[in-house]
Amino acid sequence: METPDDVVDLRDITKSYRVGFRHARREAVSGLSLSVGPGQIFGLLGPNGAGKTTTLKVMLGLAFPDAGEGTVLGRPLGDREAHMRLGFLPESPYFYGFLTAEKALQLYGRLFGLDAEVLSERSARLLDLVGIPRESHLTLDKYSKGMLQRIGIAQALINDPELVIMDEPSSGLDPLGQKEIRDVLLGLREDGKTILLSSHQLSEVESICDSVSIIDSGRVVIEGSLSELLTEPGTTRITLRGGGEAAGAALAPLATNVRRDEGEIIMDVAADDAYRALEKASELGLGLVSVEPARRSLEDLFLEAVRGDGP
Amino acid sequence: MRNTLLIAGNVIKDAARKKLFYVVFLFGLAVLGLSPLLPTFDLGVRAQFLRDISISLTSLFGVVMAVVLSVNLIPGEVDMRTIYNILSKPVSRAQYLVGKYLGILGTLAIILSVMALEILILVGARLSLFTPVVLEGVLAVFLEAAVIAAFSLGLSTFASAPINVFATALFYLLCHVKTGFLHQKLMEGAGGLARVFMWVLYYLLPNLEDFNVSQQVGYGSGVTLSYALRIAGYSILFSAMFVFIGYLVFKRRDL
Ligand SMILES: Nc1ncnc2c1ncn2[C@@H]1O[C@H](COP(=O)(O)OP(=O)(O)O)[C@@H](O)[C@H]1O
Ligand SMILES: [Mg+2]
Repeated sequence: METPDDVVDLRDITKSYRVGFRHARREAVSGLSLSVGPGQIFGLLGPNGAGKTTTLKVMLGLAFPDAGEGTVLGRPLGDREAHMRLGFLPESPYFYGFLTAEKALQLYGRLFGLDAEVLSERSARLLDLVGIPRESHLTLDKYSKGMLQRIGIAQALINDPELVIMDEPSSGLDPLGQKEIRDVLLGLREDGKTILLSSHQLSEVESICDSVSIIDSGRVVIEGSLSELLTEPGTTRITLRGGGEAAGAALAPLATNVRRDEGEIIMDVAADDAYRALEKASELGLGLVSVEPARRSLEDLFLEAVRGDGP
Repeated sequence: MRNTLLIAGNVIKDAARKKLFYVVFLFGLAVLGLSPLLPTFDLGVRAQFLRDISISLTSLFGVVMAVVLSVNLIPGEVDMRTIYNILSKPVSRAQYLVGKYLGILGTLAIILSVMALEILILVGARLSLFTPVVLEGVLAVFLEAAVIAAFSLGLSTFASAPINVFATALFYLLCHVKTGFLHQKLMEGAGGLARVFMWVLYYLLPNLEDFNVSQQVGYGSGVTLSYALRIAGYSILFSAMFVFIGYLVFKRRDL
């Protein structure tokens, strides 16, 4: 699957941690491969403890894999050249408590060698972007979790990175905040950036990701483009209005799945049966709401993948 | 270099935020508290006594501060996870570690400079005497504190703060008794493994007594330039070695 212009490429990464006093080790990540193409929002999904954070740490040279290799922006893992061109939001980020938001951004920016003028313009813009008042004299040790998360996002963008890696970007944010962050991420993609985010919040991922990799117990269980993963090939979903139990029952033989939801009948039928199902619906005097390719929800896909009880 | 200095600067700012610089008031009180104990009215003896004791106190404060500043700097950043924001930037682990060390040295330099000033003022006020020779003593303390800080910082790349404090105290002790106690034991010819162990300790450990110049400062003679250069070189050598050992561990460490 890898192509030369992959922004992130991990090959067969295995990472174990020592547990307990003996030599026992447990694998947090087992033979994981991952490739992220340019310009997309890529979601690394998985339940708690699946190995998402570990994978990101390996990617950034914060942890060292036992086996496997990879490149980020075409450079070896942990390479400083690559770090010049990427931004990272750690999980539940924390900052030097003695700095104000603006001072913190300036410190991080200076680590990239940005000069004062660029930096003050950029930090002001980023604080606006993430919704933190600019001239606040509040030091960061007095920030709430959600505010720290916003600062974390701002600092990850201070160098105008090509690649943004975010570990659980919407954790600690209220629904409105989550929406704002989603918009920030979409804006970044618009600007041609590549975004790699980890999440266990499926709604977030479903609405913005182009591709996903679902991992469980350190292994990739499902990967691919989200639209392909979520459409059920060869199945059409017909949504109808009106009718009662009887109508539902009459349609049932034609469908693989029928359910009723707030006065609507939603039925999945094999694509070949779609016309017949529509005729039947018309005979029953039901209104037609929509006909579309059937889609699974990401939640279904996720649960199937993680429980291993897939179709 | 820029990033190393940025990191160093933040160590100093953090020390300021933690109000560690207030230790100079404590020091002032300690010196002030001890000065009335002067046993005689002879000006020369009083000056000697006052200089000697102030330098000894400076040494105590300097060494304690070196440990306080070093033991938790890296473990703290790992626990708080602030380290991720730094090392995911174009900052190498070497720059990070050296930056931290330079920050500790900077903080120590500030603290010790103020202490030196306090001593000068105190001796001046008590005995109407300007004794710049104490600066030599304070410099020697700085050189020793630099070694202690390097040991402690190097150790902190893998040891927790409590273990580190204990180990550094042991190190300090051994390095001060090595020419006396250890040497004597070696001469006595303890046998077998114990002898090898002591031999290794003897040659590996720096002799921190070399940094103890409180007597020379007390007498007012101070130290010769060549002696000063020798202990400076000695300090740089051992500090670099300890920081480097710390780096070898830190370089491969999972964060
Ligand atoms: N430093 C560590 N030491 C020991 N075990 C760890 C360490 N970091 C993570 N783990 C273990 O590795 C597994 C994966 O953790 P993590 O990557 O944080 O998962 P996720 O981010 O997907 O929730 C978990 O079982 C976790 O307990
Ligand atoms: Mg995680």
